[in-house]
Amino acid sequence: MTWFTWRQFRTQTWVTVAALVSLGILLVVTGRSLAHAYASTIAACHGDCAATMRQFVLQARNGTNGTVYNLTIGVMYAVPALIGLFWGAPLFAREFETGTHHLAWNQSVTRTRWLATKLAVVGGAAAATVGLLSWAVTSWAGRVDSAAADRITPLVYGARGVVPIGWAVFAFALGVTLGMLIRRTIPAMVATAVIYVVAVTQIPRPRLVPAVHINRPLDMYSTSVMYNNETHWVWADPNNDIVPHDAWLLANRSVTPSGKWFNGPVDPGHCSDMDACTQWVGTLGLRQDLTYHPASHFSPLQWTETGIFVGVAALLVGFCFVWTRRSTR
Amino acid sequence: MTGPIVQAEGLTKRYGRRTALSDCTLAVPPGKVVGLVGPNGAGKTTLLLIAVGMLRPTAGRIEVLGSLPAANAAQLAKVGFVAQDTPIYAGLTIADHLRFGAHTNPGWDQRIARDRIAELGLDPAQKAGKLSGGQRAQLALTLALAKRPDLLVLDEPVARLDPLARRDFLRSLMAYIAEHGASVILSSHLVSDLERVCDYLIMLMASRVRLAGEVDDLLASHFRLIGARRDPADLPAGCVVLDESHTDRQSTLIVRSTTGIDDPSWTAEQLSLEDLVLTYMAQTIPAPQPALETTR
Repeated sequence: MTWFTWRQFRTQTWVTVAALVSLGILLVVTGRSLAHAYASTIAACHGDCAATMRQFVLQARNGTNGTVYNLTIGVMYAVPALIGLFWGAPLFAREFETGTHHLAWNQSVTRTRWLATKLAVVGGAAAATVGLLSWAVTSWAGRVDSAAADRITPLVYGARGVVPIGWAVFAFALGVTLGMLIRRTIPAMVATAVIYVVAVTQIPRPRLVPAVHINRPLDMYSTSVMYNNETHWVWADPNNDIVPHDAWLLANRSVTPSGKWFNGPVDPGHCSDMDACTQWVGTLGLRQDLTYHPASHFSPLQWTETGIFVGVAALLVGFCFVWTRRSTR
Repeated sequence: MTGPIVQAEGLTKRYGRRTALSDCTLAVPPGKVVGLVGPNGAGKTTLLLIAVGMLRPTAGRIEVLGSLPAANAAQLAKVGFVAQDTPIYAGLTIADHLRFGAHTNPGWDQRIARDRIAELGLDPAQKAGKLSGGQRAQLALTLALAKRPDLLVLDEPVARLDPLARRDFLRSLMAYIAEHGASVILSSHLVSDLERVCDYLIMLMASRVRLAGEVDDLLASHFRLIGARRDPADLPAGCVVLDESHTDRQSTLIVRSTTGIDDPSWTAEQLSLEDLVLTYMAQTIPAPQPALETTR
């Protein structure tokens, strides 16, 4: 059974290996140029290195290195989805569609074992592929990420660490399950794509780990006030200096004492000139409401999200076993 | 194997409101080549899929070779199945298929598989997707035979084959049975396909079992009577008229009689299996199931 699963999966395996090797070569080659840029900027810097860091990040994210940097992010987002579509959805749907499950299920191998072998071999390959890919990309981009200090911000977060593995395992299990229910390859692929995108974009990511929340009196010296004299709306934008520069800022706004977002509209009399307006806003007892994830939340967020997706994948796989048993005898 | 190879009681399969098989009760004796006939949509495929554990019945019980269909690996090893349209893996070679069979069946006989492929003149390196319909059916049959099953279940195996491929397929099936012995159930909507091979007949009509019995018994108890025109009511007792047609001078009857016809005013002819089945297909009155009574 293992041999046969491998035989059916052989073409995909070679394509994947070829793609991984090509990307690996690209990363090794550009990694050297990146290391060189690092050595000539940050490593050579003493004292205040903020400007040098910016210079390095600029070098890393432009030109050839920049193309590779953007490519790796694209690859990290695309591969889990592609695994769901091209490895997961057709795994059973194609057998049902062509009737070959009649052949597969009538050899001397129980349907449970057939299912278990296929899921273990292909699902294991999916996790291993994305794990290897994520490890390579995360190491390649390590210096850029620490210089840019944006590892936890949404776009970079999803292209690093263990989260892509969780997504891939989920996408695979989702594809397999939908393929088993829909029994036709193309519709199963479409359904997988839709549900996968919804799941990955709609998971309440900022709430997976409690964020840091600061609520303090609004400091008018560091708040810029804007007024629209047609709608009479007024905004007070507080400074976010107290948020570390490597954090993921979720919200920074001024709120009324009762906790509502402050945006007016106001009596135009208060805001005929901006100084008076600012002074008046300062008398309202507004507070600054700040929510963010510091860089230290990167790992807890990654592991929590991965755990959730792997957990859902396990439930889907369990469902596949029950479904196979109940729909046959 | 002395018990029935298939024993079904009240077997029913419904898909929503549509009933594919209703209240099917059967006991098929071992060592037979069983022909399962009936018009398209009569429930033949449903019955066979239940028997190999590909479908779950809505109600009723079925045992195949003494246990539930597809209950475990040992049960799966005892039953060989060739599904309708003889599915194969189009992207894999013939050799891959044989290797698949060898890897997944403890009783696999590589010699049978290899010899059959050689006899058919097929190249093991050929992709199965490139085979003709007849070759494809032969490959599917090879997989089912080489696992050395006690029971072979074939669903419309020759329906899509041309007459020559049809004859070759049935010939190789019969050659295997003659050499290795196995019970066979094969379905067809054409009785003529089965006439030469089967010695037991099950007929399904509109999701119900219409007729079941040994072919010899069925043939020995049905006659076409031809004689001078008369009222069919004056036939001897025990004679049931299944069909009648009259011209001005002559009456032709098709009757079932277990005692035989000794009235010299009738010319009694044996029916062919095809005529017998067609007669029952045209009938609406329920038919008794003589063989079922005797095997119980």
